[in-house]
Amino acid sequence: MKYSYYSGCSLHTTAKEFNISTQVIMKELGVELEELKDWSCCGGSIAGGVSHDMGMALAARNVVLAQNQNLDLVASCSGCYNKSAKAAKALEDPKERAKITAVLEDMGMEVSDNNIKVKNIVDVLINDIDYTGKIKHPLTGLKVACYYGCLMTRPDDITGWDSPLYPMSMDKLSEICGAEAVDFRAKTKCCGGPILVHQKEVAYELTKALLDEAKSLNADCIVLACPLCATNLEIRQKEIEKYYNVSYNLPIVYITELIGLALGISPQTLGMNKHVLSVKAVIDKVKNNPLVAA
Amino acid sequence: MPTKAEKTTARKKRLKSFFSIDRDRQVDGDTINNKLLNEIVAEGGASASIAACMQCGSCTGGCPNADKMDIPPRSLILMIQRGEWDKVLQSKTLWLCSSCYTCTSRCPRGVKPSDVIEAAKALAIREGIKNDSVKFNTIFVDLIKERGILFEPELMYKYGGLKEVIDQAPLGIKLTLTGKMSPFPEKVKDPKSFKKALEKIEKVSKK
Repeated sequence: MKYSYYSGCSLHTTAKEFNISTQVIMKELGVELEELKDWSCCGGSIAGGVSHDMGMALAARNVVLAQNQNLDLVASCSGCYNKSAKAAKALEDPKERAKITAVLEDMGMEVSDNNIKVKNIVDVLINDIDYTGKIKHPLTGLKVACYYGCLMTRPDDITGWDSPLYPMSMDKLSEICGAEAVDFRAKTKCCGGPILVHQKEVAYELTKALLDEAKSLNADCIVLACPLCATNLEIRQKEIEKYYNVSYNLPIVYITELIGLALGISPQTLGMNKHVLSVKAVIDKVKNNPLVAA
Repeated sequence: MPTKAEKTTARKKRLKSFFSIDRDRQVDGDTINNKLLNEIVAEGGASASIAACMQCGSCTGGCPNADKMDIPPRSLILMIQRGEWDKVLQSKTLWLCSSCYTCTSRCPRGVKPSDVIEAAKALAIREGIKNDSVKFNTIFVDLIKERGILFEPELMYKYGGLKEVIDQAPLGIKLTLTGKMSPFPEKVKDPKSFKKALEKIEKVSKK
């Protein structure tokens, strides 16, 4: 199995551990990832709101790169995945395709007819791979709240592989790892990602609701697959604690890291030492798992 | 005796005043003003069935930020149907939308409010509206045009000035120590033609 891999801007900076853990576990599971050559920013949720054609061209550029490599495209970041999937759909529309082609030709690129799929890493993990037999270190006793956010499963006309409002794929992946997935009602409620800088307080409030619920369910950590969600939930957790005078101290872990731990890969190899908010509590709980010790 | 043409006009008039389901009639009796609707469609709402909105309010009910908006999504769609651009343009709603697509997922009529709001934002920016959100979004896009890959410290500096950089300094240090932040921005192989191609789009849409 081989895919082209679009890491994107965040996975090279604030979400480096997501990039590392994705590559490490895919290698362990025998899936080859070929880095998208000369990728660029997908424009996120922002570019399309400045100019639709700009957003489309930015996102389509990466899809066309994958077409030229003739490999289905996998993105770990929900935003990159969502915008790429949207662009892949737009390329099927003659009007949009003509506009996109014109811009990309100006960049010296050729739009090919190679038909490729755009997939999210969670989609690949749940639908294309079965790692049930490869669990070396079951995470028994670990309670996780799986948080999907918005762009992984919505809008469902461009995603479509899991429910847009109550998805279960990451819950299942965690359960395969031996962890207990709590019934996290807020799993697809927005964290305020795209407005986190210019509407700070609004994003604080949205993120606080997520932390509150995860905490009330006694989750040991929130498991997610989006670097922007992690920016709010992890990097800003201390700010939110200060703003509301509360205390969470809730580790935020990427789904790929969780699977990596269950596959018996060391936290260091997975890049888990790079978290801004320590995930030591999770690692300790996994290490001290009596089932494995025995 | 009325002529055939007169009869048809009279019939059409009659149909409009009763409970016909003429395409241009709304539940509260308003007629659709196509001008704004067409502009939204042309900007990027091509797959959004704005005229099909029946004002059920599923969008507002699911919106995480509706309580902070001056015009909730349901009303915003109605205003767009009526062609009330001035109200839409001045609305805080455009800048409070976090593009979560909950409204689009819940809408039973295929209105796609998130796509409509995205297009309205672009029109508002082109019309010269100014606020923090516009500032952030335009700087974001300008920086991407420059190198193709976002360099966050630069974004924070251009948006919030030195104050923002100082506020974020402890985080910056932490990110640098964990090897997550490099002082050198990444870029695409050919930033020149990348930028030129994207600037051409802007020229076309400004016309």
